[in-house]
Amino acid sequence: MKFLSPRQLPLTIGLLVAAIFVFFPLISAGEFSLREPLKQTHGFDNYVWFFTAPDFGKYLGISFGLAVLSALILLVILVPTVIWLNLGGARFRGFVEFISLLPLVIPVVALAIGAQTALPDFAQTNEVILAFMFAVLAMPYAYRTLDTGLRSIPLKTIVEAARGLGASWFHTIVRVVIPVVRSTVTSALFMTLALSLGEFTLTSLLHWDTFTTWVTTMSQSNILGAISLSVFSLVAVFVLLLAISIFIRPTSNTVAQEEN
Amino acid sequence: MTQTEARLNRKGVPAWGTLTGRWAAIAVALLPLLVFMCVFFFAPLLDVFVSSFQDNNGAFSLLNYADVFKEPILTAMRTSLGLAFCSALVSAVPGAILAFLIESRGSERLRQIIASISGVLANTGGVPLAFMFVAALGLEGSATGFLKLIGIDIYGAGFSLYTFWGLVVVYAYFQIPLMVIVFSPAIHGLRREWNEAAKTLGANGAQFWRYIGVPLLFPSFLSAFLLLFASAFSAYATARAMTNGTIALVPLMIGNLLDGNVIFDEVNLAKALAVAMVVVTLVAMIPYLIIQRRAERWQR
Repeated sequence: MKFLSPRQLPLTIGLLVAAIFVFFPLISAGEFSLREPLKQTHGFDNYVWFFTAPDFGKYLGISFGLAVLSALILLVILVPTVIWLNLGGARFRGFVEFISLLPLVIPVVALAIGAQTALPDFAQTNEVILAFMFAVLAMPYAYRTLDTGLRSIPLKTIVEAARGLGASWFHTIVRVVIPVVRSTVTSALFMTLALSLGEFTLTSLLHWDTFTTWVTTMSQSNILGAISLSVFSLVAVFVLLLAISIFIRPTSNTVAQEEN
Repeated sequence: MTQTEARLNRKGVPAWGTLTGRWAAIAVALLPLLVFMCVFFFAPLLDVFVSSFQDNNGAFSLLNYADVFKEPILTAMRTSLGLAFCSALVSAVPGAILAFLIESRGSERLRQIIASISGVLANTGGVPLAFMFVAALGLEGSATGFLKLIGIDIYGAGFSLYTFWGLVVVYAYFQIPLMVIVFSPAIHGLRREWNEAAKTLGANGAQFWRYIGVPLLFPSFLSAFLLLFASAFSAYATARAMTNGTIALVPLMIGNLLDGNVIFDEVNLAKALAVAMVVVTLVAMIPYLIIQRRAERWQR
């Protein structure tokens, strides 16, 4: 038994404790969400309840719409910037890095108060504003991911080849560069999606309603329902993100290894 | 061909070579980002900063800041700082140990799996996490019931999920994975050759750690600790969903000032509080960023 050898034993114990800490609450919450106090049994009543709740689809739709929009906003803004930084604009790298990492440093609560009063008028009356704010929050992660990805490929050669063959800048980016780093772009995209789907602070402080705030509102009338919703969304996000990180990372590594 | 063009073209930079091309590139690549950040990030923050120095009529005033140092805000500030400190400490130590075990003894495959899982867990938080813990470790929670069944009555021992230490436990769920992510590269960067070199020169294991390992790793540990501190200090959603305001924390207080039926003059107080929060996170994060950058030098 290799993992019980004196050298491996501490690691085995550490991983075991970590696994208990991660799965114990998740599994107990899962059990809790299946309780049916009135019938004194376990079953899927709570899950059925939220799936058939009249607003479930509506708020899930709003959240998904906002998440997709914020991911698109980020990509449209960041992809040209990061490509440019890795070609001719290297002098501005420190400056851009600083600006895009700042949202990590500022508490979301602080940003939310300012957003209440300082945003342009059109933004105060339309919830689409949330997509822009989510994009700000996801900026540090998206920037890092895109930059790491574009650094690991021979970007200059690829761009010169495409340009030399007569492609426009737009075509170079959309048809050549993005496909090469598609795993990076996808993971930046999904990180933004996950962050936007779970965002609560800005949404509730700006008095909009999305899926997450709907869950909190629901918890006041049906705590079991809200808990099953939470378990459902945690597991869904876990599976989604794990699938991405397991299926995507290896390909980006092979690209880097083959071409460096 | 001008001299500038010739110079740039020798370096093999197409299109940006000409002066107009370079301005066009800045306009397309940099300007959208700057405008976007100005409108949706800097403008709101500037507004917070400016109005925090104003009274209700817009005249200059330091009264908001005077209130920050009065009760009940003083207590909230103390609790928030204490929570951030305890949460960072409670999560940083096991996180660092775990990162060390995985990096030093784990296989490449295991390291990748742990990195993926940590990345996922570090991004949980907010409302679902709070409800998950209510279901698990709440008074009626199933983990609480299970522990009671095997003879551990945590509520009998004085634990409650809806208190300071309850929050520390819940935060650990995303803080420990965050620690593993941030601290692993530092351990990974400790080269095996350094250990071998020290051994060749006659150092034993303890001496290696005393004079080489710990001094090299300590800055990284400290910077990771500061990141955890800032993350716990500014967390809002989890605390809000879990405690429902039973613990006075600065972010929750700001939320209440904005949410509730409060008189108008408290909005600027909320802004002063927000500025105070920004100051605290900056004090923690600036050393973090500096240390990270320095550490990157020897970690390659």
